[in-house]
Amino acid sequence: MDGIPILSFITYAPAVGAVIIFFWPGATPRAARWIALVSSLVSLALSIAMLLSFDTSLPSMQVSGKPQFSEIHSWLPAVGVSYRLGVDGISAVLIVLTTLLSVISIVASWDPIQKRVREYMIAMLLLETGMLGVFVSLDLFLFYIFWELMLIPMALLIGIWGSANRVYAAVKFFLYTLAGSLLMLVGIVATYQAYFNETGIHTLNVLELAKGHYSHEFQMWVFAAFFISFAIKVPMWPFHTWLPDAHVEAPTAGSVILAGVLLKMGGYGLLRFNLPLFPEAARSWQPYIVVLSVIAILYGAIVALVQPDLKKLIAYSSVSHMGFVTLGIFAFNAQGLEGAMIVMISHGLVTGALFLIVGMIYNRGHTRLISRFGGLATNMPIYASFFGFFMFASIGFPGLSGFAGEFLAILGALQVYRWAGVIALIIVILSAWYMMWMFQRVAWERAPGEPPDANDPVLRTPIPDLPEERLKPVMGGSGDEHFIDPRTFPDINWKEILMLTPLAILTLWIGVYPATFLDFVKPALQAILMPFGGSGF
Amino acid sequence: MALDFVQPDWILLVPELVLLGTAILVLAGDVFLPRRNHYLLSWLVMAGFSVSLVSNLLIDWGAGKTTFSGMFRADYFSLFINIIVLSAGIMSIMISTAYVQGNDEPGAMPLPEYLVLLVLSILGTMLVGAAGDLLMIFIGIEMGSLAVYVLTGFARDRSTSIEGALKYFLLGAFATAILIYGMAWIYGATGSTNLAEIATRLKPMMTGDSKIEPSLLLALLLLAVGLSFKIAAVPFHMWTPDAYQGAPTPVSGYMSVVPKVAGFAAMARILVEALGPLSETWLTLIAILAVITMIYGNVVAVAQRDVKRMLGYSSIGHTGYMLVALAAYNSTSAGDRSVGSLLFYLFAYGFMNIGAFGVVTWLQHRGHGVDLDDFAGLGSRSPLAAFAMTIFMLSLMGMPPLVGFYAKYYVILAAIQNNLTWLAVVLVVMSAVSAFFYLRVVAVMYFNEPIRQWQAQSTPLLGVGLGLMALGTVGFGLFSGSVLDLAQKWVQAFT
Repeated sequence: MDGIPILSFITYAPAVGAVIIFFWPGATPRAARWIALVSSLVSLALSIAMLLSFDTSLPSMQVSGKPQFSEIHSWLPAVGVSYRLGVDGISAVLIVLTTLLSVISIVASWDPIQKRVREYMIAMLLLETGMLGVFVSLDLFLFYIFWELMLIPMALLIGIWGSANRVYAAVKFFLYTLAGSLLMLVGIVATYQAYFNETGIHTLNVLELAKGHYSHEFQMWVFAAFFISFAIKVPMWPFHTWLPDAHVEAPTAGSVILAGVLLKMGGYGLLRFNLPLFPEAARSWQPYIVVLSVIAILYGAIVALVQPDLKKLIAYSSVSHMGFVTLGIFAFNAQGLEGAMIVMISHGLVTGALFLIVGMIYNRGHTRLISRFGGLATNMPIYASFFGFFMFASIGFPGLSGFAGEFLAILGALQVYRWAGVIALIIVILSAWYMMWMFQRVAWERAPGEPPDANDPVLRTPIPDLPEERLKPVMGGSGDEHFIDPRTFPDINWKEILMLTPLAILTLWIGVYPATFLDFVKPALQAILMPFGGSGF
Repeated sequence: MALDFVQPDWILLVPELVLLGTAILVLAGDVFLPRRNHYLLSWLVMAGFSVSLVSNLLIDWGAGKTTFSGMFRADYFSLFINIIVLSAGIMSIMISTAYVQGNDEPGAMPLPEYLVLLVLSILGTMLVGAAGDLLMIFIGIEMGSLAVYVLTGFARDRSTSIEGALKYFLLGAFATAILIYGMAWIYGATGSTNLAEIATRLKPMMTGDSKIEPSLLLALLLLAVGLSFKIAAVPFHMWTPDAYQGAPTPVSGYMSVVPKVAGFAAMARILVEALGPLSETWLTLIAILAVITMIYGNVVAVAQRDVKRMLGYSSIGHTGYMLVALAAYNSTSAGDRSVGSLLFYLFAYGFMNIGAFGVVTWLQHRGHGVDLDDFAGLGSRSPLAAFAMTIFMLSLMGMPPLVGFYAKYYVILAAIQNNLTWLAVVLVVMSAVSAFFYLRVVAVMYFNEPIRQWQAQSTPLLGVGLGLMALGTVGFGLFSGSVLDLAQKWVQAFT
């Protein structure tokens, strides 16, 4: 595939769709949906082709200096900026995750989004371009541009098509992420200047900059500047407070993208920039970051336990799961990094699916309160099966993707900080608790309003509804006043099954045979580990 | 003794002469054209600006020639200033013609007078850029400022307009006096008013570890204070919010850019070129000014609900960013980007800020202030105007890939290059603060439902102008390389 700028095609295919929708005044909502679907499908097809022709036998670009599918064009030579694209195994896998989830999100918005469809699809497609651009850029300047480019469409998605408290959530999301990334901008320029002072070369090429020798003090500061930006995206405790708001208020597709891809950018940034560029600082910061990760795992799980809102529960569980990612990365050994990678992919698939699943009953019942559902397994058996499947995947049930990742991450952590590994292990039980409890209440228990079943000893005792004042803050205008009986919900249709099936297949695949995916990322992870002495592959 | 008359090198003055001719033609047109055809004069002025812009090609800027006994210089610095102010001039005419001609302001002056004042103030600013002498700078600044004072009070029957103009005028006149006093002290200390000559004479004075002379220090302070008034640096910014709010909106847009260009051009010419040997002293001063200006402008802007006033405070914040660029000056560094990034910033600022005021003009109704509520629901009612405003706001915020981001990036680059990382950190923190109030405009446009009824007055010229500025804000971002290279040629000019 030499000579074909396939990465540019993948990245800009959605943007082309957005431009068409924008400049074609006659685009009906229906046409806008189709254009969006087709352009994101093109991107998906190209990215799968890219992944299939990706050569896993080649040494990683950090070693050879030659990224695969590389594209280099001079852009602003005076300040060392070039248009430099390329992928290694890590980004290749994440690109496919992004394109896949984007297609699914567009399908998921097909019927629920009826207001300003054209603008919605434009924002969706631009968001996809921004996300893909982040993964393909190897120039720090270019990377930063795409990094910021994602912000605006995402904020608009939350702010225009979100639920009651959307404006607050959108602005909070925007300001939080912007504040973090601006510090990173200073870090980028400082790195550029330090490298220039050392070698006399103007460059922002990541692979080149990683060869610099930076003083320890410099590394500590600049590492922190990058780290805060990524920690906000992950999000790591205590930078996580934007996440529950954003998730709860975003439309379903927004939540899917947010959980599935945007959170991965934090982990990706740590792997791509923090570790290779500032290994010394990474080692010095390691204990603190491990502590924060453990807190995140614990905190996310505990808070998830008490959430009355389905989306909020999953949002906090994300904080917990992403804690495994940072824990794995900062174990600095093969198991830890592999685990982190699998958790990232798995979380993208599983949590994306869970948000879709919540969205499906939200579309039917116009509420996300757990207490408003019950007994869905009776009238929505297919739905409940999918729900149960992804619930188990999220818990980390062996044979599904969550298990493979968290197991490896904990294994990695145990070798470095035994206590951290042990705590993380214990918390997995908590995650089973909150997920299964949620599933029990939504799928099995008596629906609100249903008379107690005289023949069922378990359900004979009536379940008290939560007091109204406890529900108020989360109810907002989420339509709770127009209560729809969950017993009347129709089961999911073919479109919804179509959305969940690929995610389910991949979840199972990763769980049973993770080697397919690990083969892609191994060389890259190995190269990242080199300055840390360990390989262990 | 025979007087030795030097034959001036007229070719160097062609861009300025074109403007002078345009001004005279407009005055004549005022008399001879029937009133209903006065709008033609706008086209005449835009044509004049364009011709003047193109006529820059006639001059060999690399040679750095001077004429009128060193009073006037044609080098890359003056070229870039010409480009900035002439394009700002064209944009200002585009956004103001309909406004002025629609007699939207009570007691407003007729269009031709407006145009003449605008042309003259741009001419003055170009003279500052091309100045080789302190007196030339003074004349240029005065010529530019006086016209803008009048433009600020353009709506004669509206008290806020008069108030703004009066404040601007009184404080401006005061600042001018301080400025010329400082120039006098420089002349006293060095015996020359020629910029290059001053630098040559200062160099031996500053060799070794000799302390700066008190008279020079005084001169430096006076000059810095005088010029800080012109660029609205804190604590000399008091006139800014009132003047911005009171002035007719297109004038606010204009005066947020061109007088600032004049002030910064004068600063660069005086501080860098003439007083370069004293840079150790004034760099600290500029850095302090930069910090307080950035913090004050951005923090106070957060509390504003009147959009014009908000933009007024935000322009103070931008002055702070530009001061960071100046504070990054390093006489010993070969690839110094300080003045280059300052010039690029001014260039970028013209597009995005005049654009933002253009959208406000578009929304303006009968001289009232424009409140945030007026923007509510604009996203669904006039998607294009809202889209343009979004681009300008995001660019002012410094979001990539818009031109404002590149401008900030180059400033940060210059600062870090000269070990001013702390200043760069203040800059980005304040950018994050500024995101709050810029974003609020965007949020109100897209997230809120319309609150008030208004009749937007859109004319083709205004629409096209806004479109061009939005295009420039996007395009000059993506293709900033050549503009930056041109700005970076200031190094050749200041040697």
